[in-house]
Amino acid sequence: MDEAFSEIEITPAVSENSKHAQWMKAALDMGEKALEHGETPVGCVLVHNDKIVGRGMNDTNRSMNNSLKRRTSTSWKPPHAKISWQGTRHAEFLAIAEFLQSFPKSALQSTDLYVTVEPCIMCASALRQYRIRSVYFGCANDRFGGTGGVLTIHADRSIDSAYPVYGGLFQKEAIMLLRRFYIQENTKAPVPRAKKHRELNTAFDQVREITATNGVEVLPSSQ
Amino acid sequence: MHAAEIVKAIEPLKGSVVAIKTVQETRPIEDFADAFIAEINVKSASKVIKALDSAFPRDESLPMSHLRRFAKRNMIPQELLAAIEAVSPPDLHDGQTLFVMIPPPLPDAEALRKLLAQFAPQPRRRNSSTPPRPDLATLQPEAALSDSPSAAQASTSSTSPEPQIPQISLVKTRVPIYPPFNISQADQWTKTMWPVVFNPAAPRSNVSPPPQILSRTREAIEPRAGHFLALARKVAEEAHTSGRGRAVGAVVVDPAIESELESIAWDKDSDPTEHWMDAVVAVAGDVRYARPEAAHKFSETNKTLGDETSQTTSGYNPDTEGGPDLHALMRAAEFIARRRRQQDEELAETPEPALPVVLTDPQLSNQLSPLESYFLNETSRLTQGPEPDQWPTSNLSPKKRKHGDSGAGWADEPQVSSCSTAPSTAPSGEKNLSARTEDGSCSAVDYNEDGPSSPGSRIRTRSEGGYLCTGLDIYLTHEPCVCCSMGILLSRFRAVIYPRTGRLPSGGIASEPIVRPTRDEHASKEEKEEHHGEDREYYGLHWRKELNWRALGYEFVETELNEAGEGATALTKDGSQEDVIFHA
Repeated sequence: MDEAFSEIEITPAVSENSKHAQWMKAALDMGEKALEHGETPVGCVLVHNDKIVGRGMNDTNRSMNNSLKRRTSTSWKPPHAKISWQGTRHAEFLAIAEFLQSFPKSALQSTDLYVTVEPCIMCASALRQYRIRSVYFGCANDRFGGTGGVLTIHADRSIDSAYPVYGGLFQKEAIMLLRRFYIQENTKAPVPRAKKHRELNTAFDQVREITATNGVEVLPSSQ
Repeated sequence: MHAAEIVKAIEPLKGSVVAIKTVQETRPIEDFADAFIAEINVKSASKVIKALDSAFPRDESLPMSHLRRFAKRNMIPQELLAAIEAVSPPDLHDGQTLFVMIPPPLPDAEALRKLLAQFAPQPRRRNSSTPPRPDLATLQPEAALSDSPSAAQASTSSTSPEPQIPQISLVKTRVPIYPPFNISQADQWTKTMWPVVFNPAAPRSNVSPPPQILSRTREAIEPRAGHFLALARKVAEEAHTSGRGRAVGAVVVDPAIESELESIAWDKDSDPTEHWMDAVVAVAGDVRYARPEAAHKFSETNKTLGDETSQTTSGYNPDTEGGPDLHALMRAAEFIARRRRQQDEELAETPEPALPVVLTDPQLSNQLSPLESYFLNETSRLTQGPEPDQWPTSNLSPKKRKHGDSGAGWADEPQVSSCSTAPSTAPSGEKNLSARTEDGSCSAVDYNEDGPSSPGSRIRTRSEGGYLCTGLDIYLTHEPCVCCSMGILLSRFRAVIYPRTGRLPSGGIASEPIVRPTRDEHASKEEKEEHHGEDREYYGLHWRKELNWRALGYEFVETELNEAGEGATALTKDGSQEDVIFHA
């Protein structure tokens, strides 16, 4: 991704033909939906007792709570400010909000999150405060990742207990969603950037082909 | 007390604003990596660079411009020189040598030797007892070929009479991979590792905000910071006494309005802090106990509403903490985003397409406290707002809120406050107000053409350049939690300010323990914080080189507290929780 995502390969922590796969596919479906609606294609699902109990996708454009490419004269911007999908209405928050419509917060302790992109620092902390049981993600996020990408909020010293993280599940699919998004022109940006000449890159030079056999099966003890 | 009266009665905190250091400053990155040092012919310097750069492309992410590529013998640290001379005795060569540093990541040593072989120093002619002749010394390898019949054996030709084959001796040494933080660090490294250049003009945004911006902003916010923080405490108090949340409050300020206030005050020769409240674009209190899911908490608290007791906040129980989306900062960002979206929808030709499966938390936004409602509905007295007929009928407005869950009478009070304020701060423009008061919840009779031009939200619309929280400052009663600290960046705030007494070990902004506790009555408290500090992470999230947005961070250090005053009262309220570590 030229915008926000590196394509560092991660060895999937769980195999892609395991039962985790169906949940991650559901998360990818949410990302697909987000893409259809012009949102950054990050999707997630919360799974509790083998059921999807919350779904989320980025809601940043709609909530206007996001960031697009813009510089104003009223504030100084540091150099290298590559702005992409951001804002506080991230997929994880929406999934939790849906979850809380039907479950008490304490039920998150026996709930897992499947998200197409590694949670950002904000979400990584929120998930810890919400006491998520574990997090499975697709591609890493080396710009904002809070579960290993930039910081390790899930495991650092904190007043809340740590949670385990398993990355790499369907990372290629997650990356393709993002690539398809970033190749679009962002007409919602205050200053849209023309991207007429961009072509969708379908190559995965750096990402090794991932098969079920090279995935290390690491499952939480509870599963 | 009505919101307007609360605001008017506010006594500013006394103290000074100090910049929060960045983690790059408090933990100066002293990362070192191995580099190779090779001795080469002084005349081949530029060719060596070309050859190196084309054979081993540099890692763009590692800024190596602080490391000198070449050093003369007399510039090399003693220890390193000894190591070099052990493998490459100085009397072996003709003295016309230079040392090149091959920066990390290290290339393969053999490949490097091969590449550099042709630039090897000229050997000293052992046969001759005379020093190297000047003309010989200037010989390039190519020139040296004149001695040799074979042009193809450039690297060996000049030494063919002797067994000493010109070879490149590589010495591995440690070099700092990040630029020096100051000149003494540069000197230190130069003396011990490898010559390092300190460039004070180099962009240092990876380390800290540009000093002039940091200090200019500090000077600009200092006059009113005590007011905004005092207001934040009032908002916190409101959240606490209502039972809806912990005593945490947030105040969002538009520095552009502040500077307008400054210039108006300058023109009128009046007190520039007098109209401080006009620069507030939103306030938000914590509502972590207000979500229906945690309703039992809320109702329990309501039973004791008005009591001194704050049992509900005396400990940290993750199950009752609601969640970071109910924290003051997140709500403040949400208020601004929603208000701006409403403004945009009002102006938009076509509505945004609806999204499926998007559930937001209605609790988060629809129930406003009196102070929240007051400031969200405040209008700008300084800038021209939208035309009257474009006045957004906000669902954040009191009349809408009334239709929502009114739990504990929370929503019943506010409309009074937002409609009974002094004309100077009330929305003006009779038509709009009548439109907004169709449910009769407030009366507009007092406000009409006497007011300033046309009403407009203080929150700039997108068309006015408003975007997210870009350019805005946030004042908080406490150091925000990691989640909210990142939320500050994602919301594009310009600066975050909180009182030093509001530090929390769960926070995401501080970058070091409080170094010197002040010697006033807070000394013991600060020492305690320092003690906590040993058991916390210091993220300094406001300004980290890894992240693509950075905000200025300041702590407000209170110098003086009036024990009977409002500030002291608020502090005591906070004091009831001072031993509790929670997420603010």
